[in-house]
Amino acid sequence: MQSNGEPKPQGPITGVSRRSFLKSVGATALAADALATTAAPAADAPAAAAADPDGIVRGETSIQLTINGQARTVTVEPRTTLLSALRDRLEPALTGPKLVCDAGTCGACTVILDGKTAYACSLLAIDLPGRQITTVEGLGTPDKLSPVQAAFCEKDAMMCGFCTSGFVTSVTSLLRANPDPTPEQIREGCKGNFCRCGTFPHIFAAATAAAETIKKTGVKA
Amino acid sequence: MATTQPIKKKKIKVPQVVNGVPTEVEIEVDDVAGPTWGANDKHRLLNTRIPRSDGPAKTTGTAIYTFDVRLPDMQYGRFVVSKHARANIKSIDTSAAEKIPGVTAVVPFAKSVRYEGEPIVAIAAKTREAANDAVRAVVVEYEPQPFVVVAEDSMKPGAPQIFPPSNRRQVQGNADEVAAAFKDCDAVIDVEYRTKIMHHACLETHGVVVDYRGGDTATVYASTQGTFTVPGDASKAMGLKQSDVTCIVQHMGGGFGSKFGMGIAGLWGCKLSKQLGVPVKMMLTRRDEFLTGGNGPGSIQKMKAGATKDGTLVACHSIIHGLAGVGRANIAGQPYQYKATTFFREQTPVNTNEDASVAMRAPGFPQASFAIESLMDELAEKIGMDPVQFRIKNVTNESHKRQLLRGAEAIGWANRPAKAGSTPGHLKRGFGCGIGAWGGGGGPKCIVNLVIGRDGTVTAESGSQDLGTGTRTYVRAIVAEELGLGMNDVLEKIGSSKFGDANASGGSTTAASLAPAVKDAAFNARVALAKLVAPLLGAQPDAVTFENGKVLGNGKSLDWKQACMTVPAAGLSVQGQWQPGLSGNGAHGASFAEVEVDVETGHIRVVKMCHVQDGGLILNRLATESQINGGMIQSLGMALFEERVMDRRLGVMLNPNFGEYKLPGCLEMPELIPIIDDGDTREAVIGIAEPANIPGVGAVANAVYNACGVRVRDLPITPDKILNGLYPAKA
Repeated sequence: MQSNGEPKPQGPITGVSRRSFLKSVGATALAADALATTAAPAADAPAAAAADPDGIVRGETSIQLTINGQARTVTVEPRTTLLSALRDRLEPALTGPKLVCDAGTCGACTVILDGKTAYACSLLAIDLPGRQITTVEGLGTPDKLSPVQAAFCEKDAMMCGFCTSGFVTSVTSLLRANPDPTPEQIREGCKGNFCRCGTFPHIFAAATAAAETIKKTGVKA
Repeated sequence: MATTQPIKKKKIKVPQVVNGVPTEVEIEVDDVAGPTWGANDKHRLLNTRIPRSDGPAKTTGTAIYTFDVRLPDMQYGRFVVSKHARANIKSIDTSAAEKIPGVTAVVPFAKSVRYEGEPIVAIAAKTREAANDAVRAVVVEYEPQPFVVVAEDSMKPGAPQIFPPSNRRQVQGNADEVAAAFKDCDAVIDVEYRTKIMHHACLETHGVVVDYRGGDTATVYASTQGTFTVPGDASKAMGLKQSDVTCIVQHMGGGFGSKFGMGIAGLWGCKLSKQLGVPVKMMLTRRDEFLTGGNGPGSIQKMKAGATKDGTLVACHSIIHGLAGVGRANIAGQPYQYKATTFFREQTPVNTNEDASVAMRAPGFPQASFAIESLMDELAEKIGMDPVQFRIKNVTNESHKRQLLRGAEAIGWANRPAKAGSTPGHLKRGFGCGIGAWGGGGGPKCIVNLVIGRDGTVTAESGSQDLGTGTRTYVRAIVAEELGLGMNDVLEKIGSSKFGDANASGGSTTAASLAPAVKDAAFNARVALAKLVAPLLGAQPDAVTFENGKVLGNGKSLDWKQACMTVPAAGLSVQGQWQPGLSGNGAHGASFAEVEVDVETGHIRVVKMCHVQDGGLILNRLATESQINGGMIQSLGMALFEERVMDRRLGVMLNPNFGEYKLPGCLEMPELIPIIDDGDTREAVIGIAEPANIPGVGAVANAVYNACGVRVRDLPITPDKILNGLYPAKA
């Protein structure tokens, strides 16, 4: 069977869990025969939290995630990423984190997971019940911007805006950990994100301005 | 007897942009007095630093882009794409894909492919995961054909022909005259410059969400640079009337020239939505975006030029090849912004089995600029003249002289080592510069509808789109300023084909086309409201003024809301159109760079860049500085990092991802100094997005040479090329 040039087969298709599949065939054979073994419960079948005796989840399952301080129920496949769960499956969706590279290289999907930044495209949603997930929507609202969001507006730290959610989230996480960063530390804190329009200097300026606001007002980042 | 004077007409030249590539046409307009902007330094809001009006939405993740649209029962579309550079398709077995639960459509449509990544089969499924499974399950049997993916191979005799042979050679100038002129030159440089095919790398990929659930009407949410470039093709694809298809572009995640029309993703989004009767999201994956989302052309430029000792550029001979994939490529003519006593240029595109090159931020200009700016530096060194002075002697536009001097001061040109590579130690500093120019300008297309409600609300509507350039913000600012209101008192509505007509965003013509129409609408609204309010104030309408949220006249004052009580129940509705006196064209700039080269590792660090840019009336200084920064950063990427890498044997792209297609990031950021050239006092709007992207690449390349003495004529300038130049292998 040909793989049509897909660069990184994700392994199992519906009905075969990631782990059981990896155990059974080994990673090198991922591309080839996966589909031949398909005999699956419908992807659109009602969510059946079908954990086998060996503890392996198959098919779609309903899980509870803690997102922006709220318990949210969402139906996912074992291979559904956190990003896809937020954007494609959660009702109503959270689309602040963006799908850009889907490969952990651009930072547009950055969320805060238990106090640290993480790429939502590179986490499996099913691993995350019990963890604290914060998206950009959880940091502030248009009527009540967080200090970082307000500083991004003031310094014009965005153009098309598709990377902005990720940068706001990274800078917020940085300032929570280090309220008084040096310019070098700001670059380090954002190096997992990139922007194509070229807003970097204004992002750095916004991070500095937000740190000053936080120092002056004592408002949380 | 009353006689109607015929309205005087005048002829003017305006830009006309086709797929992002600008040309100029002459039109006839009424020669009448309309609104004027007034002096550039006398504005209350315009030409100040205005935070963008959609900032709160973008920073909180609540701005909805096409990629974010999710509708009830929406399905996910994907393409199976070619794994071969050129092939006939013998068979496509869709049976396994069709059996996957949740997969609703598997539609083969291609019989042959001309490049890796060309779409072959369209797929729809109820979940993203099922769509991905289906892509892997389709079995395509190919009959590979001879292909060529490297320009040098394509130019060899007997290379596979991608198109039927035709003469596409364009020639200007007199080669014999140029050859003769070299005899009188004191210095002649005869070299070849190369730039690679690059990618727009828009963070939001190409695509649409099509909402057609049967019936007469459909909505297409599109990531496009032209709201009105979509409904025509979309309506054809769905068999609907054009007026029954609405295109929505609320927010847009970058285009840079690659997003005109709805593209193949749009076509299949429409077809699948029609077939399934449900909304379909058809956004390209990142890999497909690299392979089939368009690219910016590369170039091979053979240049021979000569100068005399007094610093006169005498002759310039150029043979230019645009590397176009299966598309076209136009590289700007040489000697670009310089005057040569005599020149000859010949241009021929080179085709390969790669996706078509399309417009990319100042199409063909950064490539030409890199070559001529490098060449100017090489000549300056040979005749022993300072590169800034050599340029000043040969520019065609006076603005460049002012900008070169301003930039030289900002970068610290006085610190430039007179001899390349002469800084002591292994970290060597160097400085370089370049200039650029772009037409920009505006033309008649935009219609702006402005409504003042009886409750005092002010809404300006235009179908135009905001690519991140700040369209929303200046629409609001122009209206607020004209009516004496604050930024929060006006609402702009854009990005819908149900609103007033607007041009697509290409050639840096959006602001210069739209802003005059907004100004005209606001001016008309002010005049109309003044007429209604004047009796209340006991003033003549033309003596009524609007300031600080108040309407004033005859020594009396009404606040805005009171004044708006005079408008009809349906609101005061006016229209504005582009007015020729409110836009200009011709934008000029100069870039400078300071770099540090480690001659032990070949590593290049750009320390500082500055760019001086004119643009007539600057609508928003803050957003303009953002754009100038963006231009410098994209130049930096082109100079040092970005290239599409092809495997010439397999015919495939080796780096169709952001891990290996290197963009400039946080750690590569130099200090950036955006300078708006206020020496340009034209009271007219001129787009600056593209010009800011042109000269930086040459500036960086020249700074690298000045730092370490290695002239890299083949972009990107990577450490291996520096080391090879410093320590050439012995024969």
